Amino acid sequence: MAGTASAGPAQPWGELLALAHDETGERALLERLLELWCGAHGAASAALYLDRGESVEPVAAVGRGLLEVMSAEALREAQPGRLRLPGGWLVFSPPGSGGAGGGDPLPLLFASALKSARLRHELKEQQFQVNYRIVELEALYDVGLAVAATLDLDPLSEEVLLRAVSLLDARRGALYILEDGRYRLDSTLGGEAGHWLAADDPALAAFLAGGEAPADLLPGVRHLLGVPILFEQNPRGMLVVGDKESRRGVGPFLPGDRRTLGLFANQAAIALENARLHLRALEQERLEREMHVAAEIQRRILPKGPLEVPGFQLAGWNRPARQVGGDYYDMFHTPAGRFGLVVGDVSGKGIPAALMVSTLHSALRLMLDHTEFGPALLERLNRHILESSTPNKFITMLLAEVNPRTASLRYLNAGHNSGFLLRSRGELDELPSGGVPLGLLPGSRYLMRESVLEPADLLCLYSDGITEAESPKDEEFGNDRLIDLLRRHREAPLNDVLEAIRREVGQHTQGLPQGDDQTVVLLRRDPE
Amino acid sequence: MTESLNVTVDRRDGLAVIYTEGYINNQGGEEIARVAYKLIDEGFKVLLLNLGGTKIVNSIGISILIEIIEKMIEISGRLGFCCLTPTIEKTFHIMGLAQYAPIFSDEASAVAQLRA
Repeated sequence: MAGTASAGPAQPWGELLALAHDETGERALLERLLELWCGAHGAASAALYLDRGESVEPVAAVGRGLLEVMSAEALREAQPGRLRLPGGWLVFSPPGSGGAGGGDPLPLLFASALKSARLRHELKEQQFQVNYRIVELEALYDVGLAVAATLDLDPLSEEVLLRAVSLLDARRGALYILEDGRYRLDSTLGGEAGHWLAADDPALAAFLAGGEAPADLLPGVRHLLGVPILFEQNPRGMLVVGDKESRRGVGPFLPGDRRTLGLFANQAAIALENARLHLRALEQERLEREMHVAAEIQRRILPKGPLEVPGFQLAGWNRPARQVGGDYYDMFHTPAGRFGLVVGDVSGKGIPAALMVSTLHSALRLMLDHTEFGPALLERLNRHILESSTPNKFITMLLAEVNPRTASLRYLNAGHNSGFLLRSRGELDELPSGGVPLGLLPGSRYLMRESVLEPADLLCLYSDGITEAESPKDEEFGNDRLIDLLRRHREAPLNDVLEAIRREVGQHTQGLPQGDDQTVVLLRRDPE
Repeated sequence: MTESLNVTVDRRDGLAVIYTEGYINNQGGEEIARVAYKLIDEGFKVLLLNLGGTKIVNSIGISILIEIIEKMIEISGRLGFCCLTPTIEKTFHIMGLAQYAPIFSDEASAVAQLRA
């Protein structure tokens, strides 16, 4: 309360006019008018209140002793006297002082002041609402920028939640992300919230469609509003706010609030999708790095060049269908002064097959150092592969050993396709298929066969990626084309033969993606 | 995060700094107003609201802050804000609070300029 009630014998119109001309002197003018009213009616104090429905707002007051009335109900129960005016109340003390003043123009001035105050208040309120709509638009714009600027989901989900809670005047909120068929609480503002919610809960689905909220969603909250976070119609999460605030407490949300919350949910959906794609890209990048390392390891397993053996020429080539493959070949000297060559094919492709190749390579090299070439070698290798591989994984392999002094050839086949021995005179001998693949059955037995390499004989071991390479008409390259090719290039340098195989298989498949790993090993005894 | 607001005050020779931590909503705003009006009653005419611990303000909280600003204008006092998040600072500019209560990036410069 300001000022002191004092009444002059005559209304100081000049002073009042001066106050009315001063744009900032409206309250002073009203206080002066109240002082005049007090003087005219014998009141010690008076105040003017604007009626705002459920509450009243003090506009101006003079004197002391009036209550700080803030509600209409409190005003009715207040001890001071009161005079109803259009748009408000004139309250005064002592109660009996407000005697009738016939022809008193002051109440008219008070009514006019109250009308002015109401208009000013409404204008201020409208300006506030307009500004707040701008804040809402700016918030959506800022969240959009934030979503575009970062792929880190944690700060984004908090940003979305805080903006939604503040713009909807909610007291509480929570953002859930759908994971493995359940909603996981990712961000929350205020109080308890369920950490996991079953996505298939019918009550939750009904709530997200606009129905009643499940009781345990935000315990203690009376009014809930929630919307699904959808990306391309697929649920990715849920945004929930609780208890809309006003100056009088909390209440239900307004119909337009669902739309606003939905706009924030859309931004959250984009953020979630971006983060998911980013994680997938990172995972892909990690896998590619690992594949690159695996491919390098596999390249190191394969021979770096042909084995040097006087009187013989050797060459090998391998092309995996993916970065790493399940084919294997090797050329090596044995402790007994002989040399060997092997072609193997692990069932499957990719990393699992490459790991088996690595196992096969290590085991075979170790066993060759300590085990005589023969069926026992393969039987021991079979046991090792069986113990170290997963079920349904197996390896076909053709292993051969040559005595360079006698040119005798011994070989063992574990379920691999036939080898071709093209004699110098043009006949073809097969190193027949047979035997059980390694790692398939315990106690497998193997048969060792023998032959002799004549001068200029050409031995070709290969994997089925060569003979089963398919044309666009689903026709396999086949054994016949390979044998024909070997005949045509029987006397060519081995690297030229390998190049011819690559070229003609490529011509056969006509650029179709390579379906299987491809491996060839060639051995030729020098002509006499 | 909690929806409640903690308010603490540091009185410094005619100037009081009000620190907030939490959500400035209806309850939080009323608490700030209660503290601010108490300081005014104590005779403080320069107030600084340090919102460094506040990440979120709603429209009810803003309307109460506007009332505090109006009260400060009424008593010819000075009110300033400092340490706002970019989001809250932008909101205060749009809502017109910055027009009547200066915004400072840090407390030291705010205190220095409000005292000047």
